[in-house]
Amino acid sequence: MAVTTRLTWMQEKKLQNYLGEKQFSLLYKASVRAISAKDLLQTCYNQGPTITVIYSFDRILGAYIQENYHENKPVRITLLVLEGTEISRCEIGPRLPHCFYCSWYDRNKISNFLIDLSEKTVKMSLGTIKELKLPENQKISFQECEVFRCEDLLDTRKMKGVTELRESLLSAIRTYKPYRDLVHQVRILLLGPTGAGKSSFFNSVKSVFRGCVTHQVLVGSGTTGTSEQYRTYSVKAENDGSPLPFMLCDSMGLSEEGGLCMDDIHHILKGHVPDRYQFDCMKPITQTNSNYIKFPLLKDRIHCVAFVFDANSIENLSNEMVTKIRRARRETIKCGVVPLVLLTCVDSMDLIRRGDIIDIYRCTPVKLKMEAVHRELGFALSDIFVVCNYTSEWALDPIKDVLNLSALRQLLWVADDFLEDLPPEEIDLKWIPFARPVRLSEFSVTP
Amino acid sequence: MAVTTRLTWNEEKGLQRLLGNVSLSLLYKSSVHGCSIKDMLERCTLQGSTVTVIYLDKIIIGAFILGHYPQEDRDFEKQTSSFHFLFKKNTTEITTAFLNTAPKITSEELTFYSSGYNKIFSLTPHKCHFFLATLLAKILKVRPGVFGYLECEVFRVEGIKDDGGYIRRITGATERRSTLLAELRNYKPYADLVSEIHILLLGPVGSGKSSFINSVKSVFRGHMTRQAAVGSDITSITELYRIYSIKDGKDGTSLPFMLCDTMGLDEKEGVGLCVDDIPHILKGCMPDRYHFNPQKPITSRHPNFTSPSLGDRIHCVAYVLDINCINNLTSEMVVKLKQVKEEVLNSGVAQVALLTKVENYHEVLQDNFLNMKKSVTSQSQIMEVQKILNIPIYNILLVDNYASDWEPDPLKDILILSVLKQMLQAVDDYLEDLPPQRTDEVARVSQLSICD
Ligand SMILES: Nc1nc2c(ncn2[C@@H]2O[C@H](COP(=O)(O)OP(=O)(O)OP(=O)(O)O)[C@@H](O)[C@H]2O)c(=O)[nH]1
Ligand SMILES: Nc1nc2c(ncn2[C@@H]2O[C@H](COP(=O)(O)OP(=O)(O)OP(=O)(O)O)[C@@H](O)[C@H]2O)c(=O)[nH]1
Ligand SMILES: [Mg+2]
Ligand SMILES: [Mg+2]
Repeated sequence: MAVTTRLTWMQEKKLQNYLGEKQFSLLYKASVRAISAKDLLQTCYNQGPTITVIYSFDRILGAYIQENYHENKPVRITLLVLEGTEISRCEIGPRLPHCFYCSWYDRNKISNFLIDLSEKTVKMSLGTIKELKLPENQKISFQECEVFRCEDLLDTRKMKGVTELRESLLSAIRTYKPYRDLVHQVRILLLGPTGAGKSSFFNSVKSVFRGCVTHQVLVGSGTTGTSEQYRTYSVKAENDGSPLPFMLCDSMGLSEEGGLCMDDIHHILKGHVPDRYQFDCMKPITQTNSNYIKFPLLKDRIHCVAFVFDANSIENLSNEMVTKIRRARRETIKCGVVPLVLLTCVDSMDLIRRGDIIDIYRCTPVKLKMEAVHRELGFALSDIFVVCNYTSEWALDPIKDVLNLSALRQLLWVADDFLEDLPPEEIDLKWIPFARPVRLSEFSVTP
Repeated sequence: MAVTTRLTWNEEKGLQRLLGNVSLSLLYKSSVHGCSIKDMLERCTLQGSTVTVIYLDKIIIGAFILGHYPQEDRDFEKQTSSFHFLFKKNTTEITTAFLNTAPKITSEELTFYSSGYNKIFSLTPHKCHFFLATLLAKILKVRPGVFGYLECEVFRVEGIKDDGGYIRRITGATERRSTLLAELRNYKPYADLVSEIHILLLGPVGSGKSSFINSVKSVFRGHMTRQAAVGSDITSITELYRIYSIKDGKDGTSLPFMLCDTMGLDEKEGVGLCVDDIPHILKGCMPDRYHFNPQKPITSRHPNFTSPSLGDRIHCVAYVLDINCINNLTSEMVVKLKQVKEEVLNSGVAQVALLTKVENYHEVLQDNFLNMKKSVTSQSQIMEVQKILNIPIYNILLVDNYASDWEPDPLKDILILSVLKQMLQAVDDYLEDLPPQRTDEVARVSQLSICD
């Protein structure tokens, strides 16, 4: 009895994208309510653009009317045939809406397109059939018929909501204070394979707070890694220039050969690695390095780790990469930090459009990607967040910002969880001016 | 003149959440489709469950109808689970009223009748006014009477369970959640015998021990927290013994119960938690952050080995098991669980079983949330656990952790809190039942730890 569409996510999305980023609202479903053509039309009048979808075995036939229509208004119909992933189309009309339906008294009406609801057939002229590349059979029987209203996927109502949400997230993050003020800024480390979008994520976050898109950090294009230095970035608030309560730490990407040294991770987490440290993929940093931070304070340590993955390559990670990621995760947990996952590049997935980003967690293919991360790498689903980086755009997009800021807020919460859970001896005795903060380093030097 | 709802995006989200993460499709909008009852019915009959929403200047009132819209001039159908709600514009706080009513269409009205044939709520579309009876008005905290409205919309609700009990539960969830939270905030261990209750979680690798701790912390915290690392790997993600206190809100006070996380049990010897560690944990000798060694247990020579009289003695053991694996436990794992059980029996503490990853978690509790449903779909797993661990059914608890989703879910919260409450109940029963000299001993221990 449930009134839900028979279209699969993929089929619905194909049609919606074809019609220009629409979303469908189901108005009528034949198998639930058998009615006359007249009553059906009554339901469709004054609904704005509509599409009638007819299911004939493996084929889907759509009749799209772009204009708002009523009884006395002739309309043009765009006929679509969706077969597999191919769409073909043809235009007919203009004619009065009721002329597309066949009623019991004029079953022999001649037309180039006629739906018979009671007989469950569609009749088309040879010309139409040819244009739609259908087999030469003028009468097609169908199993189901549904009518949808086509709304814009993004309308002013939604954009207004998104903009408000963006403001509230921005202010929540600006006013965030690390747990018990143990540090002024929490440090978030970005780890992940080469080209996953770590540097881009920093650029995106910086852009939101700057109020315009910036590409401060060079991002990659090829397959070889771009970031080779360890960089810790602070972001300034747009209004008063004060630093925001977090820092993003960008590392060299992980790679099957070369890339970030696994042994460096521990040193980064414990705060030994200085800003601008030049990574050497052959050997990890050592105490003898001139800028090695021997006695890091709590503020120098990493308080939160985000593993960044490109959604499009998650199923193709090599075994070596999976092993490295699992090891890096163990290392993170060993240092008391619970890692989260940021999934990038969902915007470049097949069929995903800008409007989908608003409700990205409901998108079937994105859910599948998250499940793949869960399955392949063993992260809990609740620890995986979708982000959407600025790549080529010039203007800020509140839709992307909302996604990135929501993830950032979760990262800050994780940092708080870390600080709250610190063993007392690892908290700096900052109220004693010259207290030597050795406790920390004694814990952190690897044997 | 586009057919778009008058709800803001935020209000729409709030409504979707209230109904349990559903989708809404706008079927009828009075300003576009006309104001007669006929216009409304033309678009709303046979559309499955719906919600009818009317807009006033500052408030929005809605009526949910489970199953198809009533049809014109039909005789009374049996009462269905319709319910009413109200929210002020630009807020997400929704007041709900659950009443069993029968909706009926008469010539020009949509009316909801209560069991005593009393009008509870009615809409007269062509006049754009509605009636609110005292009974309903009181629950929604507004004035009763006849008022005008600006607009009426009807949405189809997709993805809602076709079950009156479910509707009753989701509408009552917020209230029950606060009651439970209040009860647990006021919890004091039985007769003040101990100052803090320690609950130990034991179970196979990946069964959801750490997730349960995060879940409990998250409910009290108000958003997802992740202090314990979770995830899956061949060996246990949790490598340290951890004692977690539960804070009430950010910077809040610690509640008088602690959850103790351990490394997962493995069916192989020399892998996973060492069974010989368990007696030390139970006595409270195991220091927080102790790094487990799967090959050999802790000894009293360990630098942080706590002396038993002062330590964090365990009062309750929860065997944590993934409900979907119970019927496929290997015989080695069953043997291991029985060994563990043996150790726990020796110490005589309270025991419960916690079955995680329950997919239909919203069906576990009765409609009033007070008990587990007799007809729970997991009967066979419950029986199996009872057989393996010999734990009475009332102490076999079902839960779904915050593991697949981080969005707050009141029904999930209720189950998590109910499970915790049940554990504390088991502890109280155990404390009450202690022989007198043990009581002294426990009391002395708690005295000492207070002095400490
Ligand atoms: N479409 C899309 N492209 C992205 C996104 N994030 C990153 N990219 C692109 O992915 C490429 C690599 O991005 P980087 O930010 O350099 O990746 P990285 O992780 O810093 O890489 P290394 O520094 O080499 O380790 C760039 O071409 C980005 O434009 C995203 O969310 N969507
Ligand atoms: N769907 C669902 N998944 C869960 C639940 N509890 C845990 N999980 C998932 O199961 C996996 C293991 O959960 P953990 O909490 O790490 O299990 P654990 O018992 O602490 O495991 P170890 O510490 O490795 O022994 C994670 O991916 C969780 O997301 C649950 O109630 N429901
Ligand atoms: Mg980079
Ligand atoms: Mg664990």
